[in-house]
Amino acid sequence: MEEIALALACCLALAFISKRWSLPAIPFYILAGVALGESGFGLVPADEFTAYLSYLGLIFLLFYVGLEIRPKSLLRQGTPLLISGVIDLNVNFLLAFVGALALGFSLPDALVIGAALYVSSSAIAVASLVENRKLLLPESETIVWLMVIEDVILILLLSLFTAGGENPLAMLATIAVVAIVLFAAVRAGKPFLRSLLTRDDEIPVLFTFTAVVSTLYISKLLKIPEALVAILLGASLASTGAPLLERLSQPFRDVFLVLFFVFFGITVDFSGTSSLVPIVAMTVVAIGSKILTGLLVGRILHGSYAAGMEIGSTIIARGEFSIAFAAIYGSGAISALLAAVVIITSLTGSFTARFSDRLKGFLPTARAAGTEP
Amino acid sequence: MGVRCVELPGIGTKYELETEKGDRVAIIFLPSRHFQLYVQQKGSAAPSAAEISPSEARRLGSLLSGAIIEAEKEAVEIAFSALADLRIRVHTYLIRGNLAGKSIADLQVRTRTGATIVAVSRKGQNTVSPAPSFTFYEGDIAVVIGETEQLQEFERKVLES
Repeated sequence: MEEIALALACCLALAFISKRWSLPAIPFYILAGVALGESGFGLVPADEFTAYLSYLGLIFLLFYVGLEIRPKSLLRQGTPLLISGVIDLNVNFLLAFVGALALGFSLPDALVIGAALYVSSSAIAVASLVENRKLLLPESETIVWLMVIEDVILILLLSLFTAGGENPLAMLATIAVVAIVLFAAVRAGKPFLRSLLTRDDEIPVLFTFTAVVSTLYISKLLKIPEALVAILLGASLASTGAPLLERLSQPFRDVFLVLFFVFFGITVDFSGTSSLVPIVAMTVVAIGSKILTGLLVGRILHGSYAAGMEIGSTIIARGEFSIAFAAIYGSGAISALLAAVVIITSLTGSFTARFSDRLKGFLPTARAAGTEP
Repeated sequence: MGVRCVELPGIGTKYELETEKGDRVAIIFLPSRHFQLYVQQKGSAAPSAAEISPSEARRLGSLLSGAIIEAEKEAVEIAFSALADLRIRVHTYLIRGNLAGKSIADLQVRTRTGATIVAVSRKGQNTVSPAPSFTFYEGDIAVVIGETEQLQEFERKVLES
């Protein structure tokens, strides 16, 4: 398990290289894992310790998602956000699901693939908006809030998948109780929590780490999915001061999430994939469905397909959430497929986001309307 | 038209203004404490953006916020709305070799000119309210405060001594 150091050192080097070339780091972390793990040179074993650390990455990510949800601001965005969220869900989930069925995957597997490929990578989308300096465009507001509503729908999907397991009602009831307890406890103890988190010593960060890690313990005790508990914890604690908690949990999230991607790459088994056809097909579907989503949302909310192309090209990248789905619910065959699609779409996505203006040139309406110089 | 404040979750806050002339200006507060400044000309398809650091933002901010501050080369004139005739100038001066090794007390800045040395910057290190024993090196930048006549005296008597 000391070999993690090797994996982390590789990721550090790759992080430098990817940032230098303005590429997302996620595909590189996964590729590092593939190269170092079973499918590659076999230098880093997939042991329990690394698995635990990588799972912490997932938990911290979902905790962060819970912190960022902001229900009041979401509701304030109103109908346009709802419309874009619904289009995004339907187009992407359905196309991925149908595509997976057509490729011969079983129904449960196809459902997981549908859910995993529906979610875009918020991290990559947001980073590319900042880097490519698109924030003045009204489309950027749509994109950013779409990413938030995807997080909400992600929670619903996770709950639905949970319900597909044993004893769905008992589990959902337990989750509801945990949610109520968490929110009530935070509400009652808010002044205490605030004073705790604004202290100058090690207590704030110790508290944050302990709270997040205890989601694993609670979920083991109560037999409910850790993912949901982590999000609920984040959502409930958000009222005490989300920026503060984000700052406290960010270092852990950043480090463990890298391990999560690497470990995923290590455990991915490409031996089952005999041909490239499923990978290429799903990638095409994945890219096409997001562009279609973008075009529809752009037309309906912003009145132009050009705006739609801007939106679509930014949300193509899949990343952290797709891998999360694969890690939680996926079987071996799905993991390999999703790993490949994530790697390809995240790299493609960063290019399409940067060169969205050129992509707009492909739209027949753009030329007809004479918006080309 | 008012400034529109938009929350961009995951990024920061955007403040957007459409000017009377129809141009658009926006400032985005990023989590890294940096800013992005966007300007879009009326009728132009694409905006231009600059990414500015916190210190650059402060400088731009003080430039933009000043009906009562006139910036002129290395000098700034401050007027206070409540104090009608009070006009204070703050001027930066480069200390040359002729003053190297001399202290503020030696130069008798306040006695001879009426101006006050408020701060000295040496290779990026700032000393605010330097003691009279503070000794100058060549290359220091002195920030001097006073009325116009006092600064002229400073330039004549101290700087060129």
